[in-house]
Amino acid sequence: MTERPSSAIKLFDHLRAIGTGIKYLFLPRMTVRYPEEVMKLPDGYRGMIKYHKEICISCGLCAQICPANAMKMYLEGESQTSEGKAKVKRRPGINYTRCIFCGFCVDICPTGALEHVGIHDVAFDSFEAQLFKPKDFEKGPPVVEYERPPKLVRSKMDLRRGIIYEPAD
Amino acid sequence: MSEERIIELLIGPQHPSSGHMRLVAEVDGDVVVRLKPNIGYVHRTVEKLAETKKYIQIIPLVERPSLADTANHNLGYVLALEKLLGVEAPPRAQYLRTILAEMNRIHSHFYGIGIHGIMLGSSTVFMWGFADREIMIEMAQWLTGARLTYSYIIPGGVRRDLPQGFEDEMEKALRYLERRLEDYDRIFIRNPVTRARLEGVGVLKKEDAIRLGIVGPNLRASGVPYDVRKVQPYCAYPELEFDVVVREEGDSMARLLVRIGEIKQSMRIIRQALKQIPDGPILSENYLKMIPPKWKEFMETKRRVKFPAIMANLRPPKGEAFSRVEAARGELIYYVVSDGSVTPYRFRMVTPSFRNVVLFEHLIRECRVADIPAIYGSLDYFPPEADR
Amino acid sequence: MMNLMDLLKWIINLVFSPWLFVPLIFPGLVTVFIVILFIIWFERKLAAKVQLRYGPLYVLKQLGGAIQLVADLLRYLFAEPIIPESADKLAFMLGPIFLFAASYIPTVAIPVSKSFYAFRSDISLLISLGLLTFGPAITLITGWASNDKFSLIGGLREGYLTMAYEIPLFISALSMAALYGTMDLIEIVESQVGWKWGLFLNPIAAITFLILALMSTSRFPFEIVEAESEIVMGPFTEYSGILYGLTMGASYVKFYVLCLLFSIMFLGGWKPVPKFLSWSPIAPGVILLLKSLAIMVLGVFMRAVYPRYRIDQALRMGWHIILPMSIGSVFLSLGLLLWGVVS
Repeated sequence: MTERPSSAIKLFDHLRAIGTGIKYLFLPRMTVRYPEEVMKLPDGYRGMIKYHKEICISCGLCAQICPANAMKMYLEGESQTSEGKAKVKRRPGINYTRCIFCGFCVDICPTGALEHVGIHDVAFDSFEAQLFKPKDFEKGPPVVEYERPPKLVRSKMDLRRGIIYEPAD
Repeated sequence: MSEERIIELLIGPQHPSSGHMRLVAEVDGDVVVRLKPNIGYVHRTVEKLAETKKYIQIIPLVERPSLADTANHNLGYVLALEKLLGVEAPPRAQYLRTILAEMNRIHSHFYGIGIHGIMLGSSTVFMWGFADREIMIEMAQWLTGARLTYSYIIPGGVRRDLPQGFEDEMEKALRYLERRLEDYDRIFIRNPVTRARLEGVGVLKKEDAIRLGIVGPNLRASGVPYDVRKVQPYCAYPELEFDVVVREEGDSMARLLVRIGEIKQSMRIIRQALKQIPDGPILSENYLKMIPPKWKEFMETKRRVKFPAIMANLRPPKGEAFSRVEAARGELIYYVVSDGSVTPYRFRMVTPSFRNVVLFEHLIRECRVADIPAIYGSLDYFPPEADR
Repeated sequence: MMNLMDLLKWIINLVFSPWLFVPLIFPGLVTVFIVILFIIWFERKLAAKVQLRYGPLYVLKQLGGAIQLVADLLRYLFAEPIIPESADKLAFMLGPIFLFAASYIPTVAIPVSKSFYAFRSDISLLISLGLLTFGPAITLITGWASNDKFSLIGGLREGYLTMAYEIPLFISALSMAALYGTMDLIEIVESQVGWKWGLFLNPIAAITFLILALMSTSRFPFEIVEAESEIVMGPFTEYSGILYGLTMGASYVKFYVLCLLFSIMFLGGWKPVPKFLSWSPIAPGVILLLKSLAIMVLGVFMRAVYPRYRIDQALRMGWHIILPMSIGSVFLSLGLLLWGVVS
């Protein structure tokens, strides 16, 4: 428990506050200068989603569990089987305007067809570009384009300075 | 001839320090005669939305109202759901839940201290509060994969295990935060200007606090040692030792000091939990046996959990359940009624900010205009959490 | 009939003549603009360094965002000044202009060096301080003209605060005048020979003058008139565009004038004059400017350390603590005269 702070002469408290302010004039800053320095995200980060078409079994569990209705199953074409019956495949598509990056779809997929990649800062040109139909979804997650290639940094804890950002290559 | 002495000031949503709510103040010169809060500006019908979503989909919904304290809201809801379903989480999962809840408590208190500072005029404490919050965000990102809305606690356990090297980094982070708290002490708490603004301002007496039903650090700063983690313990709290921080004065300075004391107690809890954590599975047996055996190796190496397919369509038997947790701002209550289908019949959440709204009318009376932000910041009132 | 060379010589003579140079160029209008451009940028950078972040950075990146204020000023020039329908239009528009002008008019009485001054008078200290008292009256009118409750409260706060700081300010300054035996600013500087600066002779007057300078120009911890979290922007809530730019600069101009007076009375003014600056009567003014900038940086650093006081606490501090201290400084001056420390 903290005791009630008290000091005999108020002037000492004033000088101590100003002294702390002056001390911080000589300590380093803690900003990440985006976009010249970009943080490389750790392994388990829940970023955008990559879809492997070959492993998918069209069970639809990802669309059933999505809390924001971002994953939807699309009826994709008809393919004739050998008996002549039309077989309709269902494939998932994602709507990035609704996705909340919770990762429930990745965790529930029974075959592992969905996985997270560490990309989160993509900018799109139009609203429709964010609605990924299945054939766009299977091409892979969007790639970030920077004007100049940035320096990659990674965050680490430090005893003296809290968070420091060291280069990660 | 009647003089109009009383001005009606609308400290509305378009004001630098009113948050997302409207305050209507009646001011006579520099003295506030009456203040009425006008809540409901960010009401988003969370309770009604929950009646249209399945049980597992309510987890992200219930986290969103309270911005800084998401793990405690998540935990409260999942405790109620587990009572309905009749499952229990294994001990390692209980410890992991406790660790994340205490990290969130530290995060939320730094947020509250920062907002209090900017309302008093000290932009230094605002920036420092948000900078130190960043440390807890980075540690939580390493543990769960997201920065702010974790959705980490699911019925039956948790989603991920501790990564390698987590204990050492956490120790470094906690030691750094302890040294930072001393700097806050020197530049803000012992600053004579802060003491003049906060001491004796907005005094809440013990009888009034009990009569009005106040919760959280506001109650403990008025001399009532009530904490849900001691009264009705849950998760791993029965096995951890910590003190309940109580002060007697009841003014705004006492509320600020209670929050700083709670940050120190949370650091103590995290250290104990990381030392005492037992080994074992992180998801309950009922669900582990539903996962196909080909995922066992993946789950061991990546230290994560796959959801069994039943998670998408949980159907608890008919009944009702009730749970209480101690969120950072006070006591949080959930009440869930199920009628056997995939969506709940009734979902009710009582948030601590909603129970503290009455303090605006009760405390801000016969005080000055400049005391309105000083008292508002010390209550740690968060409008989206109160309006849901 | 003058040819071009004579015309040019005549113009240069006109511009460098003291009664035009001092109010308009140095330490007048042009210097005021340059000082505002520098000090607001430096305040933001200092506060940002204490708060573990960069301040302005991207405008002229190599110098750390030094000309950020030029960009801000250009933005204010091109923004639309919106005048509310129910405001008193003439007072609304003229208020900030008169406020800015009234804040920098006292520079007309401040000498730059021993032989370069606009006019010499043996009460120039009293003239500068007296001209500073125009400001609060114009702030009151501006607060009333906006027809907004927050502006009204802000204007009234300025009126109340005037009663707390005007009297001790005059008493502290006049205690120094008593110590030196004159109210002429040039002779005040000439009496501070060697190390006998006013700061070491009468430190009580120096401390009270500095605290009152902070109080009268809304620097932290006395930023009561424009308290952002209570009364949005005080008397200047409804302003936008170039009128807002003028109001933002007005309080810094008043602080600049008070810091010039502080350097003259307490820090030895333009003395000691080094050899390489004695080629022109204007050059010692650079030393005066540097000393005032140092004091301004000290005053502006308080933003990073202190919250703000309530108005009744500031009034109580002015009457219970600062006024007795300034009366004490008068007695200290008289004591020093009696014991022959200063003749």
